Amino acid sequence: MITFRVGDLAGILGVHRNTVTNWIRSRALPAQPGVGKKYFIEEEAIRAFLSGKNLPEEAVEAFLNQAVLTMNRNLPAPSGQGKDRGMEKTTPTGSVLVVGGGIAGIQATLDLAESGYRVHLVEKSAGIGGRMAQLDKTFPTNDCAM
Amino acid sequence: MTLSQVVSVAGNAGNYTVKVRRSPRYVDMDKCIACGLCAEKCPRPVADEFNEGVNNRKAIYIKYGQSVPLKYAIDPNACIYLTRGKCRACEKFCPTGAINFEDKAEIVELKVGAVVLAPGYQPYDPSGEDYYGYDSIADVVTSLEYERLLSASGPCMGHLMRPSDNREPKRIAWLQCVGSRNTNRCSNGYCSSVCCMYAVKQALVTAEHTHGDELSQTIFFMDLRSHGKEFERYYEDAKAKGVRFIRARPHTIDPLRGGSGVRMRYTTEDGRQMEEDFDLAVLSVGMEATQDNKALAGIFDFSLDSYGFAQTAASNPVRVNDGVFVAGALHAPKAIPHAVTEASAAANEAARLLSEAKGALAVEKTYPDERDVTQEEPRVGVFVCSCGINIAGVIDVNAVVEYAKGLDHVAFVENNLFTCSADTQVLIRQKAEEMNLNRIVVAACTPRTHEPLFQETLKEAGLNAYLVEMANIRNQNSWVHQKEPEKATEKAKDQVRMAVVKAVRNKALTRLKVDVNQKALVIGGGVAGMTSALSLAEQGFPVVLLEREDRLGGNASHVSATDFGDSVPPMLKDMIKKVEGHPDIAVHTNARLKTAVGSVGNFVSKFETHGETRAVTYGAAVIATGAKESIPDEYGFGSDPRIHTHLSFDKLMQAEVSTVQKADTVAFIQCVGSRDSRRPYCSRICCTHTMKAAVKLKTLNRAMQVVVFYRDIRTYGLREELYRKARELGVLFVRYSPDDKPQVRTTPEGVMVRGLDPISRFTLEIEADYLVLAAAVEPHGNEELVELYKCGANADGFLNEAHPKLRPVDMSVDGLFVAGLCNYPKPMDEAISQAQAAAARAAVVLSRKEMLLDAIKSYVTEHCDGCALCVDVCPYRAIRLQESTGEDGRMHRMVQVDPALCKGCGVCAATCPKDGVRVHGFTKEQIKAQVASALESLSGGRA
Amino acid sequence: MKQEFEPFIIGFLCNWCAYAGGDLAGVSRLQYPANMRAIRVMCSGMVSPDMVSDALLQGADGVLVMG
Repeated sequence: MITFRVGDLAGILGVHRNTVTNWIRSRALPAQPGVGKKYFIEEEAIRAFLSGKNLPEEAVEAFLNQAVLTMNRNLPAPSGQGKDRGMEKTTPTGSVLVVGGGIAGIQATLDLAESGYRVHLVEKSAGIGGRMAQLDKTFPTNDCAM
Repeated sequence: MTLSQVVSVAGNAGNYTVKVRRSPRYVDMDKCIACGLCAEKCPRPVADEFNEGVNNRKAIYIKYGQSVPLKYAIDPNACIYLTRGKCRACEKFCPTGAINFEDKAEIVELKVGAVVLAPGYQPYDPSGEDYYGYDSIADVVTSLEYERLLSASGPCMGHLMRPSDNREPKRIAWLQCVGSRNTNRCSNGYCSSVCCMYAVKQALVTAEHTHGDELSQTIFFMDLRSHGKEFERYYEDAKAKGVRFIRARPHTIDPLRGGSGVRMRYTTEDGRQMEEDFDLAVLSVGMEATQDNKALAGIFDFSLDSYGFAQTAASNPVRVNDGVFVAGALHAPKAIPHAVTEASAAANEAARLLSEAKGALAVEKTYPDERDVTQEEPRVGVFVCSCGINIAGVIDVNAVVEYAKGLDHVAFVENNLFTCSADTQVLIRQKAEEMNLNRIVVAACTPRTHEPLFQETLKEAGLNAYLVEMANIRNQNSWVHQKEPEKATEKAKDQVRMAVVKAVRNKALTRLKVDVNQKALVIGGGVAGMTSALSLAEQGFPVVLLEREDRLGGNASHVSATDFGDSVPPMLKDMIKKVEGHPDIAVHTNARLKTAVGSVGNFVSKFETHGETRAVTYGAAVIATGAKESIPDEYGFGSDPRIHTHLSFDKLMQAEVSTVQKADTVAFIQCVGSRDSRRPYCSRICCTHTMKAAVKLKTLNRAMQVVVFYRDIRTYGLREELYRKARELGVLFVRYSPDDKPQVRTTPEGVMVRGLDPISRFTLEIEADYLVLAAAVEPHGNEELVELYKCGANADGFLNEAHPKLRPVDMSVDGLFVAGLCNYPKPMDEAISQAQAAAARAAVVLSRKEMLLDAIKSYVTEHCDGCALCVDVCPYRAIRLQESTGEDGRMHRMVQVDPALCKGCGVCAATCPKDGVRVHGFTKEQIKAQVASALESLSGGRA
Repeated sequence: MKQEFEPFIIGFLCNWCAYAGGDLAGVSRLQYPANMRAIRVMCSGMVSPDMVSDALLQGADGVLVMG
C-alpha cells in the first residue's frame, strides 16, 4: 500500500486533477480514498497503471518514492505487505479512552466517534450523565438541564 | 463501560494499553428491561446520592429516570444478599431473569491511542463547619441539594418543600462562597466561578416553583461574578424581579425555635449589625477536585496544583501529557459550556495525534440489498409489545392483537413481551421473510426513542427503513391512562389502526447523500483562528485562512503574558511560523469575505484580498474574527497622556519600564464602558488584566501606591490567586457604585481621582502619576458576516452559539463554528480551547466524504404551477422558484427544494393550494387517512 | 339514560415539542383522559386548514394543534 496525492499524480501525468479523480471514481485507477485528498493504492496496481502511460522510468520512480515517503504517516492500518523502505514508525491506534461520563466526557466521546475513531467511555457509577443530570435548570436561559 | 475505573496504563502516546476494572453490576444488561419491579420489591432502602441524599432509593437501582444505560444495578454495599447472604427478592420477581449474583469484577484491557480525562468535580462538603450549621440545622441545605428539591424529577416532584416540616419556604437566603475564596476555614483559595450564577438562577427558578407572592429571595455575596455571556443581563433581571443582593458574609447561623428556619447574623458594608430570620438557607457550595484526580495523575503521570487540579500550559490548555488530554473541572472549576468546549478541544487534540489511524477501527455496518415493494400489495406485520407489565398491565394486549388481525392489509400479528429485545428483532426479520411482509407496525413505546431501532431491523431484513410505523401505546397510552384500562384498550386499537393506515401508505424513501467538500475556511488570523487552522490542517484538511489586517496575530500581539504567567510572544511567533509554513494552509491577509452561498458540506464564497477577488469552496467554516478594546469616552481619556487604557499602558510598561517604576501612585478604574446601559455586559478579562498589571507594578516597586476603583472583582476560577496576591502586595481596592463614579481631573502634578470609600464613608482623593482605564471589549462589526451567513449575533454584537450550554462552538447555521473573542470576551487559554473545539466540531463535518440527509424532506409534485406561495413561508429558505422554457416555447415555472436546507417541517405543504409540494412520509394523504381512521371508531363507538 | 358528553378530539402533535411532551407526560405518569387521538407531524406548520375541517366534518368534537 502506498499513499499519494491526486495533484502529484496529475502533475507527472500532465492531466487535470479532476481527470485523476474521475479515474478513481470509475475504478480505472483502483485507489482507496483517505483523509485530505490522499489516496491509498497497492504498489503493484499503481505501477501497472502507470506503465500504460508511456512515462519515463525516472518520473515513475520519483513519484513512487515521494508517495512512499508518506507511506507510514497515512496508512489507515498497519501494512503487512509491501517492501520495507526503512521508514519504520509505528502507526498509532485509532481508538481513544475517555474517562468520565459527565457532560464533558460525553461530548468528547461523541466528537471522536463522529470523526472516525473508536471510543471507550469509562464511567465509575452505574450510569452516565454526571452532575449536569442533577441540575434542574441552567443559566442564563433557564433551559431544562436534562 | 459503567461501574468501571482505570487501574493502570502502559505504552506511549499513540499506543497505550489501559487496564480497566469493571465492577460487577449483578444485572445482565442484555436482559434487564428497566421495568422497575426489582426495585419495587427490594426491601433495602439506601440514601439516594443522585438526589444528594434528600430521599432514598433501593439497593437495586437506576441512577435516575432517564439514566443511560437504562439498566438496573445492585449496590453491593447495601444489598442484603451480598452483605448478609439472604434475600434475592429481586431475582424472584425479575420477569426476564436478568439478576446474576454470580457476576464478578473483571479487568478489561483496552488498546487506545489517546486518553481524554473528564472526571468532573465534587461539591464542597460543608459538614464540620459549625458556623454554617449544616450538620445541626435541618433547614440549611447545600445548593446541589436545593437543586434536587427544585427539580421536577427530584424528590419533591418540583413542589418545593423545606426539609424540617415539608412546608413551602417563603424567605430563602443564599450564602455565596461556601468552600470557595476561603483560605481560613478550608484551603480553597480559588473562586468556583459558577456559584454566583447558579444562586441567581435558583432564586429566579424558585419564583416559578412557589405559590403566592410573599416570596423573598436574598443572596449574600462578596463580589457578584456574572462574567459570562448574557450573565450580566440575567443578574440585572434578577434585581428587577426583586431578588435582594446583600454584600455581606453572614457570620452566624442559628436554628429558630421549633426546629424550622434559621436566624442569620451579618454585618453590612457600612458596619451595621443585622439579624434576620429565613425559612431556608442554601449554601452555595463550590467545586473541589475529585478524589480521583490524584489517582489519575499517578496513573497518567501529570502534575496537580495545590488544590488538586491538573496543570496545563496556556498554549494547549487541554493537554497534560503526550497523548493525555483533560476536559472539564479536572483542571479548574468551570461552567458547563466551558467544560463542553474543552471536551471538544480534547477530542480535537486526540484526533490530531491519531489522524493517521483515523477510521482504522471505526466499525461500519453492511445491509442486504433492499427489496423493491412498490409493485406489491401492502402486507403489514403488526407487533404488539407488552413491555413487561408496562403496557400489558393496563391494556388488554390480546384484545388488541385480535383486533389488529381483522384490519385491512394486515397479514400477521403477534404479541411480544418486549418487542425491542434483541431476540424479537431476529423474529421480526424471520416473519418478514416467511410471511412476505412489506410493512411493519410496532405498537409499543415512542418512535422518538425507538423508531431508529426498528428501522435498523427493517434494513437488516432487506426492507426500506421508512416502511415501519409505530403506535405509541405506552408513553401516550398505558402510562397516562393507568386507571382506565378499558378506554386505554380502545385507544390502543385506534392507535394500531391509525398506524396501519399510515404504514400502508408509506413508501420507500432514500436518504439523500451529498458530497462533502473536505476543506475548511477560517475567518480571522488571531490566536483562535490560527489554532483552528492548524488543528484542521494537521488532521489533513486543507484550510484557507482569511485575516483582515496585513499580518497574523490579532490581539495576542499586544499581550506579553497569559493570566497564568506563560510568556505570549514566543508562543505566538511559533504559531505564526507553523501556520505560514504549513503546506495545507493558504493564508490571505488584508482579506474580507464578500459572499457566502451553499450549506453545510458545500459552501462557496468570494473574498477580496489586496484588491483582488478570489473564490473558495469549503465544507465548514470557523469564524474567529476577534474583538477589540473600546475607546473610553469618560474619565478624561484622550485629554491627558497620563490617562491610559490597559493596552496602551502595557505598551508603556514594556517600552519605558524605568520611568513607570518610578511612579509614586498608579490608579485603575474598572468597568469603563462595561456593565452600563450602552454595553450591558461584563468584559470578563479586565479584572484579571488589572490584577496582572497591579502585581507587576508592585513587583517593580514595592513602595508604589496602587489603587483600584472597582464594582465587583471578577477574577473567576484560579484567577482569584492573582487577586489575593495583589491584596497581599498591598494594592488598595476601593469599590464604587455606578451612580457615584470616581471623579477625574488633571493637574500638572498628577491625575486626581476622587472616590467615596463605602466602608469608611470617607471621600478620598489620590494623585496618580498614571490612570489606567479598564476599557470594555467590543466586537468588530460582525454585521456583514451575520448578513452573509444568516447566522446570529446577540444584542451586543457578539456572534451567537447554537446553544449556550450544550453547543458552545456550533453556530445556528450548520457547518459554521465560532471561536474566540467574537463570541464573547475571554482570556487566551479559553480562546485557544474554544478554537480547538471549533476545529473538532468542523472535523466531524469534514471527516465524512458524503453526508446522509434525513429522508423526511419536502418534494415537488407535477401539480406545482410556480405560484411561489411556499417560497416566502419556508423558514429555512430551502425553496426557490425555477423558470425554464419548455418545448412549446412557453415559460414554465416550478419551485425547487434544496434538500440540504429542507428540514421537512411541511409549512410549504400546508400553504400550497394545489398539492404541488408534499413532505415524504407525511403527505396530506397519509395524515388525512389517519384522521379518517381515528374517527372511524365514532360511527360504532359512540352513538 | 343520558350519558355525559365525552368529546372526541384529534390532536396534531409536533414531533419536536408537543409529541415529546406527550412522551414526557408518560414518563412522568401524568394521568389524563383518553379522549384524544394523536397524529404525529414533523411540525405543527404542516397541519393545513383542510385537515382540521376534515376532522371536524367527520365527527371530531375538537381539534388540538400543538407545536
